[in-house]
Amino acid sequence: MRVELQINNSADPKTRFLSWVPSPCRIRVSDPSGTTSPTISVRITGRSQAAGGAVVFRRNATDTFSNDLTLPVPITGTSVSFFIAGSFGRPSVNNGDVTIEARSGTTLVGSVPVMVRIRKNANTLTPAERDRLNSAFAQLNNQGAGRFADFRDMHTQVASPQAHGAPAFLPWHRAYLLDLERELQTIDPSVSLPYWRFDQPAPNIFTRDFLGASDPLGTVQFSANNPLRFWVTDGVQGINRRPFFSTNSAPPGLRNEANTLGLGNQYRSFRTMEGNPHGSAHTSFGGSISSIPTAARDPLFFLLHCNVDRLWAKWQRQFRRFDPGQAASYDSTPVSRIGHNLPDTMWPWNGITGGTRPPTAPGGALASSPSVTAPGPQPRVRDCLDYQGTLNPLTRLGFDYDDAPFS
Amino acid sequence: MPKKSKPKSAKSRKSAQNPRRIAQRALAFGTNAKNSIKARVKAMADVPLAMCEDDKSLQTVLKILREEKEPIEVRLAALQALQAASFSVVAFESCRTDYIATLRAVAADKDLELRQRVLGILAREKDGFAQKKLLEGLQQPDKALLPPEKALQLLSYDVHAEAYPIARAIVGNPPNATAKREALRLLAADANAAPTFEKVLRDKKETSENRQISAAALQAIKPDKLRTHAREILLDTSEHDEIQATCLTALKQFGDQVAIVNDSVLLRRVKRLGGKGSSVVKQSARQFLSKYGQ
Repeated sequence: MRVELQINNSADPKTRFLSWVPSPCRIRVSDPSGTTSPTISVRITGRSQAAGGAVVFRRNATDTFSNDLTLPVPITGTSVSFFIAGSFGRPSVNNGDVTIEARSGTTLVGSVPVMVRIRKNANTLTPAERDRLNSAFAQLNNQGAGRFADFRDMHTQVASPQAHGAPAFLPWHRAYLLDLERELQTIDPSVSLPYWRFDQPAPNIFTRDFLGASDPLGTVQFSANNPLRFWVTDGVQGINRRPFFSTNSAPPGLRNEANTLGLGNQYRSFRTMEGNPHGSAHTSFGGSISSIPTAARDPLFFLLHCNVDRLWAKWQRQFRRFDPGQAASYDSTPVSRIGHNLPDTMWPWNGITGGTRPPTAPGGALASSPSVTAPGPQPRVRDCLDYQGTLNPLTRLGFDYDDAPFS
Repeated sequence: MPKKSKPKSAKSRKSAQNPRRIAQRALAFGTNAKNSIKARVKAMADVPLAMCEDDKSLQTVLKILREEKEPIEVRLAALQALQAASFSVVAFESCRTDYIATLRAVAADKDLELRQRVLGILAREKDGFAQKKLLEGLQQPDKALLPPEKALQLLSYDVHAEAYPIARAIVGNPPNATAKREALRLLAADANAAPTFEKVLRDKKETSENRQISAAALQAIKPDKLRTHAREILLDTSEHDEIQATCLTALKQFGDQVAIVNDSVLLRRVKRLGGKGSSVVKQSARQFLSKYGQ
């Protein structure tokens, strides 16, 4: 007798990635040989490798989570639904370091490897996680000839009004990061975008083995086996980044996490973080990252913005601000600028050019995910608020942060 | 009996936390010369929001940046605040002309650090004034606003063909080692520079860094050439570890998979490096072999 376990309601191995948000799963008997009763009792558990991820289960959306789940499964092949989520605080380190096992009695009747794929603090990545990220970035860049060029072209001076200085600053960058992260995951599905927590020391990021160590001139140096040494943007080799602080400490003058989360319970107040800490984090360096036209040339840009997004996620959780229909969740005072109202589609994913939009729309539609359907190829501002699908599970975006549990 | 003051205090606290009020207070504090330099610098971090919402505030900060009598630390903090505000691009747009004009005005300031930062901002904006000044300084060192290596680095933000001749000249006769390195980096976008990179890559007397820059440049502009050289470098038992590791990384990331898995001589050599090389070569060799199924 065998059962088939479907993660994210699919038998495709590409969907075997979990976050803190419960993923819909199914189990069905695929081979009933040797059984006679109309249903069998199957106990589902997660077996974690040492230091690997861990998972929890529940039968229905309103049940509490537990470490195992026993389900009656008909031998007719009809599927039975349940949910699996990453156990908060136990993200995976490697792809497949958790195995979902199904047992009938003591007999193993089915198993699938999964990964609890979570955005983590970049300063705490294992060497293997760091190397996989660097390798995926380098391949996406492909010495300047790769898909990364689109991401670089999305964040330029002419495109800037779509993404800055107005309410959609946070939603636009959330979509931007997600698009990039999905492209990285196409190269290596075990990769998730880590964040640079800029209000804490992060010496492990600014090393020759990770995002490079800057020399006094601001030219970033990489170790010989770091593929980022082949980084090319706009036809120019390498990265310029000159920190105005010791990289063994945090940049001075930046609003810390507690003070950022304390900017107020209205989105209108919270989004003032675009200046400090966001802008201040950018300008704590000289080099590409300190100016809008060139900031996205530096891979650090994406780790910086991942932290900005994480702060928004934590603020959303703190004040329950996931609902676009709730005034405090967004700055819905009349905004004349297209792209910053909740129902507006966002450039460049909408493909609209000219007029109040930039003259070109690089990159096409937002990358899809094998595991989730949101936010769709042409996301609207409103599609980027409820990233965990707290109001509607179908709107979850498929990412989570290591210190922001499922709300 | 006096009324309890609790409601007023709560309102006052709320007002104190208002980010816009914080920004205005920081501006008033940061621009007041009576305060300590350290405190003024610290206050400048909260100023960007004020500048985005009020042209008068922005002009006040521009004035601090221009004023040579102000302490350099405060001027640099003012510049950093202006840059942070420029990320709120729409709110900043109306003052953009004044911002750029001020940057150009202080590009020849007596303070090297300020010149360097200001010319960096202008170079990233592809500002023609700054590019001209940087090129002039390379051609006529007595007019240089920045050291040649910094000027070359800033010119690389918007590589124009007119920068190539001076970069080639610096590679041939460098004023210092860093300037040669930056000239090579600038030339990495120039397909005509491939022979230069081949020469530097194969020259064992060159610095490891210049050879690695050349490897990366060839990988981008003539990948077939790099594959040929990389193979020869890996088979050369007298080659340096760093350059062999770089070649292994290049082949692992961007190599021709079919050609490599059929190259038994190369694979044998890499296996040997994986077992006997230095730690950096061993690590690169292991990564290479894990990709090519050995």
